[in-house]
Amino acid sequence: MPLAALAEPLRTAWRKRFGRWLANRNPRGRRILLNQRRLFIFPSRMGLLFALLLLLILLIGINYQNNLAYAVAFLLASLFVVAVLHTYANLAGLSVEAVRAGAVFPGQRSRFSLRLGQRENRPRYALRLSWAKGESEEVNLGPGEHRLLHFSLPVGERGWFHPGRLLVESRYPLGLLRCWTWLDLDLAAVVYPAPRDSGETALGAAADGSGGSSLPRPGNEDFQGFRDYRPGDSLRHVHWKGLARGQNMQSKQYHAWASRERWLDWEDYPGLPQETRLSQLCHLALQWQRREQPFGLRLPGSTLQPDRGPAHLEAVLTALALYRREAPGE
Amino acid sequence: MKARKRWFPPRASRTGQRPAGRAPGAAIPRNALVWILLSQFALLLPHLPQLPIWVVPVYLCTALWRGMVLRGQWSWPSRPLRLALILAGFAAVWFSFGSLLGLEPTVALLLTAFALKLLELQRRQDAYVLIFLGYFIAVTVFLFNQDLLLVLYMVGCLWLLTSALVALHRPGEDRFNWRSGRLPAIMLLQAVPVMLVLFFVFPRIGPLWSVPLKTQAATTGVSDHMKPGDVASLSQSDAVAFRVQFAGEIPPRGELYWRGLVFSVLEEGAWRSLRYQEIPPREWRLAQKNGAGSALDYQVLMEATQQHWLYALRYPQPLDPGVMAMGDYRLYSPVEVEERFRYRVRSWPELPLDPVLSDWRRETELRLPEQGNPRTRALARELRLGAESDGDFVQRVLDYYRNGPFVYTLQPGVLGDDPIDEFLFQRQRGFCEHYASAFVIMMRAAGVPARVVAGYQGGEINPVNRTVIVHQFDAHAWAEVWLAGQGWVRVDPTAVVSPERVTLGLEEALAEEGSFLAESPLSPLRYRGIDWINSLRLRYDALTYRWQSWVVGFDSEQQLNLLQRLFGEVRARDLALLLLGSAALVLAPAAWWLLRGGRPRRLPEERLYQRLCRRLARRGLERHPGEAPGHFAERVAAERPELAAAVRRATAIYSALVYAPQQPPGERGERLRELRRAIGQL
Repeated sequence: MPLAALAEPLRTAWRKRFGRWLANRNPRGRRILLNQRRLFIFPSRMGLLFALLLLLILLIGINYQNNLAYAVAFLLASLFVVAVLHTYANLAGLSVEAVRAGAVFPGQRSRFSLRLGQRENRPRYALRLSWAKGESEEVNLGPGEHRLLHFSLPVGERGWFHPGRLLVESRYPLGLLRCWTWLDLDLAAVVYPAPRDSGETALGAAADGSGGSSLPRPGNEDFQGFRDYRPGDSLRHVHWKGLARGQNMQSKQYHAWASRERWLDWEDYPGLPQETRLSQLCHLALQWQRREQPFGLRLPGSTLQPDRGPAHLEAVLTALALYRREAPGE
Repeated sequence: MKARKRWFPPRASRTGQRPAGRAPGAAIPRNALVWILLSQFALLLPHLPQLPIWVVPVYLCTALWRGMVLRGQWSWPSRPLRLALILAGFAAVWFSFGSLLGLEPTVALLLTAFALKLLELQRRQDAYVLIFLGYFIAVTVFLFNQDLLLVLYMVGCLWLLTSALVALHRPGEDRFNWRSGRLPAIMLLQAVPVMLVLFFVFPRIGPLWSVPLKTQAATTGVSDHMKPGDVASLSQSDAVAFRVQFAGEIPPRGELYWRGLVFSVLEEGAWRSLRYQEIPPREWRLAQKNGAGSALDYQVLMEATQQHWLYALRYPQPLDPGVMAMGDYRLYSPVEVEERFRYRVRSWPELPLDPVLSDWRRETELRLPEQGNPRTRALARELRLGAESDGDFVQRVLDYYRNGPFVYTLQPGVLGDDPIDEFLFQRQRGFCEHYASAFVIMMRAAGVPARVVAGYQGGEINPVNRTVIVHQFDAHAWAEVWLAGQGWVRVDPTAVVSPERVTLGLEEALAEEGSFLAESPLSPLRYRGIDWINSLRLRYDALTYRWQSWVVGFDSEQQLNLLQRLFGEVRARDLALLLLGSAALVLAPAAWWLLRGGRPRRLPEERLYQRLCRRLARRGLERHPGEAPGHFAERVAAERPELAAAVRRATAIYSALVYAPQQPPGERGERLRELRRAIGQL
């Protein structure tokens, strides 16, 4: 019992120390070039089995006094040594670049994109990239080729989600050695707050007529005309009748809501704890976006002017996601 | 059953499209599978001589089965079936060899397992096991044969196996291609220097424990008893018996009598040598050398015979431990010669053998069966009566041969109950063993101690490296008689009947009959008359000799000599340095070659743009770090309007080249030329 109690802090200390050492040796970057500082190499399990085979062959040489068995043992042993170089060369000179990570809601999977490439003129084989979460992919890379790779990873809670270190490894050409590195890519996904209606009524809802409870009913808007459908237009506003008659897909246009703009305001829900409040705001933002109502956002320290459309929604959600969250990383 | 469901082995998906999250290296690329099959058959081939024939169909069937599984036509064998096949393999080996122990059954088991493993070759792990087994099987080939050509072939097998290993790590290669054989060839070549140093430096120690030996190998060469017809059958073989390298001049051919066995006992029509327990202990070993004379030093490299006796010239003394000199002046190895064996000998051809004959020896060498061959005995007694001395008697008997109508032939026919009588008085056709045997019987009948000696006579001198190559067809039998004052004297009755046999060799002696190597029409020795074939054969033999003495026969003594010649005193530090040096010598260039692309290669358009920037910098127009080419061009245009056109044009071409990389090469080249022209205008 005292031993186990002693072991745990030791292990933590060791892990910390290793983490520091690794961070120092293999620092974070957006575009990382694999070189001898970052790459590690060690015999794989099959390499150890191979060593056992060599020993067996050497024993045949010794016991049968057979020089050719000696020769084969030595040839394979030096092949092993040569393979160290070739295995290393298969990874050295590769570059891994963080491209982007999609923003998602908690519980969803975010798509992490990165670019694997090289400017060198030799083919690479069996490059395996894997995340701690279990996503992995094995690719070959032609001379001078760059390739975009996508991984979908489950994310954590609101804020920046950093997927941890990326394992890049290869056993090519003989499988006897494993060359690998743990890359700390500067790549993080924004995780929005979970949209949740707390049932709480906004403070000033009745007062200025812009609260969440007095939403205008559909049909109240003033119809303005048609325009060609654009991606992002609500499907409710598609002129289905026209479409059914064989016309182009068109959206109905309504008067702008300039006079009836709404605000998502942090101060509207003083009774709710921080995360619940953000969830509530997120819920409303989604709802209003669905109704194509322009709305603005007021958070302590930042304000977004009322607007609508997917870009605006993303800005709002991102602001909610990153409220009081530090930059990705530590 | 999981294996059954997956009729198709998962065809390695095109790279990058594999569903994420699969266990590492689940599938075997088809390319690797073909390489594995190739290496399997390549490894089977050199093992065929020591394998029962049923192994071949096993290989064909497993390969067929695996191929059908690959094509999706058949399913994997079920587990009970695989188990049954393994048991059947064991049973078949047991029936073929009568045992599972010993070298040949072990190898047969290994090869059967090698074939059967193909039926469960599903994952990369299985392939590793199969390939490693292949490396092991490649080594076992050398336990049976270490011929130079075979070794070259085995290097090819190692290459095939390594290629399979490489192909295994190239996901997505769905078709067989030879390209994956290139890298392993390069790697094997890079491995050679370190291997050579290890080979010559690694200490050679004795066996750590006793190992299963060959049990099935046939004995070759002269056997321990001799019936009429034995030597003749040996003469049908063109195999090499041994090779000899003399330290000095090679003695004349007629003197090259390689003594192997001494036959002192005639029993039931066959000659045999004395058994160990028949010899009194004081006669076991050779007495101290008596007298002095000129010595002949030579080294014999003997092929495996599975027998104990060694071959040497008259009065031999072994210079190597592990070789015994026996009381009847022959060499003997306490262990059977199972592999090529090298020993050094010093002979005194002029010294007398046994100047004084012990009573036991005299009695032994005079003994004859009570009955048989009465006419021969009568003739011997009659000739002895007319002779003045034993020496004279020997001459008279030889004269009898010389004057009779005796024919030297490989086809003497079968002899009856009193074979010597029949041979001497009726057939008068015989091979060396007939002449020697009849001669010794006549000597003994007349009271002169005599015995038959078997071994080889002559040999072929290889002008390439001055070795004497002794073939099986040089097998010979002759006689020794003991004469007072001279000791044992060699008498070769065959030489009287057919002098060419001794001076020119068997081929000339049989020229008329045309029976030389009649049963091996393809033997290169039959074509010695054709110059280039003969010179090729002799060159290869010289190479074989060198190979045998430097590689196959390399032992701790040679190692010590070599190292002392290289370093003077042998120290561990020197050896370590040698090893490291050789490793560095190969790996440094290899590393350079592999990583030479370590610096990013600049594309030609980038080099040209750099040139543009340098030219502008000389005019005081420095490009800021990180400034986009377009911005830079506009800044230049604003500051120096006279350059505007050229700079804008060059920048436009450069941008087009960089941001639209997928262009046909011709068009790209055209653009590059334009860019160069535009920069040239500055």
